[in-house]
Amino acid sequence: MMSAAFNPVPVSPLADGLSSAVFVSGEEAANLAIADISLQPRFGCKGPGAISWLTAQGVPVPTAPNSACVLPQGKGRVLRLGVTEFLVEGDAALVASLAAAQRPSGVYPVLRQDACLLLSGRKLNALLLQSCNVNFAALDLSTSPVVLTSMVGVGVTVLPEEKNDVPCYRVWCDGSYGLYLWQTLCTIAEELGGGTVGAESLAVLL
Amino acid sequence: MMSRMHQKNGEWIDRSKAVSFSFEGKTYSGFAGDTISSAIYASGQRVMARSFKYHRPRSIMSLANHDANLIMQNGAGARFPYATPNVRADVTPLAEGMALTAVNTFGGLADDKASVLGKFARFLPVGFYYKAFHSKRLFPLWERMFRKLTGLGKVDFATPHIRTPKQYDFCDVLVIGAGASGLSAALAAADQGAEVVVVDENARAGGSMSYQPGTEDSILAKAVSHPRIRILTGTYAAGYYADHWVPLVDSEKMSKMRAKAVVFASGAFEQPAVFRNNDLPGIMLAGAAQRLIHRYGVKPMTRAVVLAANADGYRAAIDLAEQGVTVAALVDLRSSHQAGELEVAVKAKGIQVFSSACIYEAVPAADGQSVGSVRIAAFDDGVVGAVSKELECDGVVVSIGYAPAANLLYQAGTRMRFDKGLQQFVPEVLPYGVFACGRVNGVHTFASRLLDGQRAGAAAASHVGFGDGPNAVIPAEAESPSHVWPIVDHPDGKNFIDFDEDLQFKDFRNAVQEGFDNIELLKRYSTNGMGPSQGKHSNMNGLRILARLTGKEPQQVGTTTARPFYHPVPMSHLAGRGFSPERITPIHGRHEKLGAVWMSAGVWQRPEYYAQPGVERIDSIRGEAMAVRSGVGIIDVGTLGKLEVIGPDAAEFLERVYISKYAGLKVGMTRYAVMCDESGVVIDDGVVARLADDHFYFTTTTSGAATIYRELSRLNTMWKLDCGIVNHTGSFAAVNVAGPKARAVLATLTDVDLSGSAFPYLGLREGVVAGIPARLMRVGFVGEWGYEIHVPANFGGALWDALMDAGKSEGIRPFGVEAQRLLRLEKGHIIISQDTDGLTTPSEAGLDWAVKLDKLFFVGKRSLQIIAKKPLRQKLVGFMLDKDFTGAAPKECHLVIQNGKLAGRITSIAWSPSLQRHIGLVLVSPELSAVGTTLHIRLSGGDMVAAKVVPTPFYDPENLKQKEGA
Repeated sequence: MMSAAFNPVPVSPLADGLSSAVFVSGEEAANLAIADISLQPRFGCKGPGAISWLTAQGVPVPTAPNSACVLPQGKGRVLRLGVTEFLVEGDAALVASLAAAQRPSGVYPVLRQDACLLLSGRKLNALLLQSCNVNFAALDLSTSPVVLTSMVGVGVTVLPEEKNDVPCYRVWCDGSYGLYLWQTLCTIAEELGGGTVGAESLAVLL
Repeated sequence: MMSRMHQKNGEWIDRSKAVSFSFEGKTYSGFAGDTISSAIYASGQRVMARSFKYHRPRSIMSLANHDANLIMQNGAGARFPYATPNVRADVTPLAEGMALTAVNTFGGLADDKASVLGKFARFLPVGFYYKAFHSKRLFPLWERMFRKLTGLGKVDFATPHIRTPKQYDFCDVLVIGAGASGLSAALAAADQGAEVVVVDENARAGGSMSYQPGTEDSILAKAVSHPRIRILTGTYAAGYYADHWVPLVDSEKMSKMRAKAVVFASGAFEQPAVFRNNDLPGIMLAGAAQRLIHRYGVKPMTRAVVLAANADGYRAAIDLAEQGVTVAALVDLRSSHQAGELEVAVKAKGIQVFSSACIYEAVPAADGQSVGSVRIAAFDDGVVGAVSKELECDGVVVSIGYAPAANLLYQAGTRMRFDKGLQQFVPEVLPYGVFACGRVNGVHTFASRLLDGQRAGAAAASHVGFGDGPNAVIPAEAESPSHVWPIVDHPDGKNFIDFDEDLQFKDFRNAVQEGFDNIELLKRYSTNGMGPSQGKHSNMNGLRILARLTGKEPQQVGTTTARPFYHPVPMSHLAGRGFSPERITPIHGRHEKLGAVWMSAGVWQRPEYYAQPGVERIDSIRGEAMAVRSGVGIIDVGTLGKLEVIGPDAAEFLERVYISKYAGLKVGMTRYAVMCDESGVVIDDGVVARLADDHFYFTTTTSGAATIYRELSRLNTMWKLDCGIVNHTGSFAAVNVAGPKARAVLATLTDVDLSGSAFPYLGLREGVVAGIPARLMRVGFVGEWGYEIHVPANFGGALWDALMDAGKSEGIRPFGVEAQRLLRLEKGHIIISQDTDGLTTPSEAGLDWAVKLDKLFFVGKRSLQIIAKKPLRQKLVGFMLDKDFTGAAPKECHLVIQNGKLAGRITSIAWSPSLQRHIGLVLVSPELSAVGTTLHIRLSGGDMVAAKVVPTPFYDPENLKQKEGA
């Protein structure tokens, strides 16, 4: 089995000295804000034994594939990416304990080295229309849908949420695509009157 | 003479905002809201363009995006940084500072020298260029001549790459056309709960309600304020694609609309009448005259003759009279009609009505630049009597019929039928989720159009799950709005059918006489409908002519194929914002700082080599290679596909997907792995490493990772083995540290025992390198003692830094893809898809040693068993050029020629700094594969170069470099 020592350390794939983002605020940020939250701790696993193992670890499991649920005390989220594949993100202690726990046969660890972006603002749907062919406006957010699709040509996982009537979407992609996704979405966001913000600016949404 | 009228209710222009522009070098002024044509026409300038073939003067005909008479060039200037060709003046909003010129003139619009071509019309019959310009020898001359004579606007090559946005959009019901029926449909659908988008190419919604008196209704206001209706004006539906996918084009962008149902309320194209000189400026369709008046406050003429064959013509005559235009006469092609009250109203205005009459010909005014009078003759279904009267006029208003704007309906797969009563094609069978209403559906009466819209809108909403279906009954039209034969023959011709191509009635007769009597053949031979208006005004008349000339019904003649796009779409919109995903490894920034010159490897960006000041590319590559041979080099191999298979059946899974055996592979060892497809063709290779009995980590080629993962996932689902596959390609960083000093460098960073006995060639170890958890593999791809070190991606940069730092004293040098390709070639290692192609089997590639046909099953086994019984088709072998060879060396893909026949292809070649000569791999016929055979390689220029087949590896054939103490 994969060594527990392979647990990732919090180094964002976008924080490699390549991003020269200029942060926006105020009205621009309210229009459209993009933050890099790749540093969030996360853990992934898949396999036929994943549901029972996660449950035994005290992790709530979304009832349906392609949906999500919130971790206890709202410390993060669990995404069900398929019938037996899961992504846990947010609670550092939980992520550490899951990574260290013994995994039985039928539970396969997935090293999650994603880039993760947080998108927010009243013009978010305009950005989504320019970057993805999924009609996010038609989704019922009360069911916590998770969308696995392609955005600007990159395979992504999207968790659409709303906080205080403001749309707030998380977008995960393979870390090697992270810079391209970031730069492309930022270009569109700037054209729509928004831009890049620091993750701390959107902390209330995390 | 200025033609601007007093301000009118509902006009589209803003008279408080003057707009200054120039046309043909002369300065004009219009208003905000004007189109280019309406502004020029309002200033009194009638001639705005020259026709394509004969360079005849042209002016407003439809004042819609239906005809293409008025195409202009907007030149570069202070407000427009680059020129825009082929601006459609009828519909393009006037903008401050426009510098417009007519296209397709020689010496300007007023003195177009090419207008002399009209005098040679008799020598330029239909299809003349097919008959006259077929000489191969003279073709370059003709080509140059035609390129000079033809073509419309001129492309400005200074135009920058305009990255227009491109977006998706969604709705329940898309309504195409914001006229009476379209708005009615939108309201019905939205009232039932559907989210509706209405799209219209005009600057404002309302369709004919904005210019035909008596059609005002409150539905526009209701639609605008409806919370579930979005109205997109200045936007056209450019095509129809499967599953209700419709590109919507506006001035800024293209939106790809995905609707659940589509209502076509696209209306109809008002059709021109055919008579001699029917293209003279001042002769226009009734809709154009009324649009000029009611939208732009422009008086179209002072004295008009109305040529009618329907009720709309009578209404237009009344409208003109009420707007202060003297209507000299109304000429009705029909002998009788049912709109008696309209005729009474027309006559009450003092307008003389000629029934069963036609305009035999229009006579130019004294300056030849506009209509001066028309000659009236009796008319009975094409049979023309003697000219009975000549009426002076400065304008002719034509309303003789319509052709449905059914282009997108055809694209959607609608089966149409010709309704003889209506003299129009109407939908007979509509595709699933497609609805039609209004004029395109054969419903022309205003009240009926509203009802028909309600019906279609309710049906569309019901189709997508909102409300019940429609229950409206649409009354049949009382009479046909289109004349069966609005065509008047004339011995002197110039009675135009197609205004884009200056096609006359006789051209059609001649084409049919020559045997082009099928609608598609006629189109291509005559070019009818092939101009920029795509037959919106010529296809229906052309079809009527062909039917009559061949004794068929229009239904039997049929229509030509309607293809996207409905209107021309700017190239910038089609290109849009390009999405070209790129992957980078976590070490990308380090490479950048080291001067990497990038190359694409699939979607990955990889260093081709590292540039050094004053050093040529090839010298850098060879320098990097020699550093590996003599010291130590480091390359980022994080782009390799990196997969894991875990579970009790993991070994069984690999046994099935690779041609070699892995069940017996020891934990802590690796083995080369070749994958074939079902036909036995080599599709990928890599290394399988066994981490545990039930856990394998394996690599694929850089470009194959995604495809291989997808295929393996498919196979695993199908086979239902007890194992899972994980794609860790992007999650692991990987470097290869190689060279005689590699072990010494690595030893400073790890406690892993690197001795040859403890960590042998092809061994696998897990350990810690520079404090980073790592998987280490002893590899020899480049032919030296080396280690592939795989770590979680977010440690990649730290690992690179640590190795570079540790190797500093040994002179460690980063090397790129090109040096690696050279090194592996020296070692005789192949690259799948470079040294193999889409037909290469393991035997042909020299990999037969890896094929284990004694396995129970693996993908491709059956094919390889069959292939094994057949003679080899080709063989991959090594070759060398003479040690003393000088001159141009062969390149990859140069061919091997044997006895004048193609006998092989070079797959890899390079000058080897280690061997000091050219070496390479070549796929050749088996009879040429024996060591010592001389190959004859043809260079691009035709020169031949001799090479000799040699055994591989070229470098270190005894593999001593992987042995302790070697």
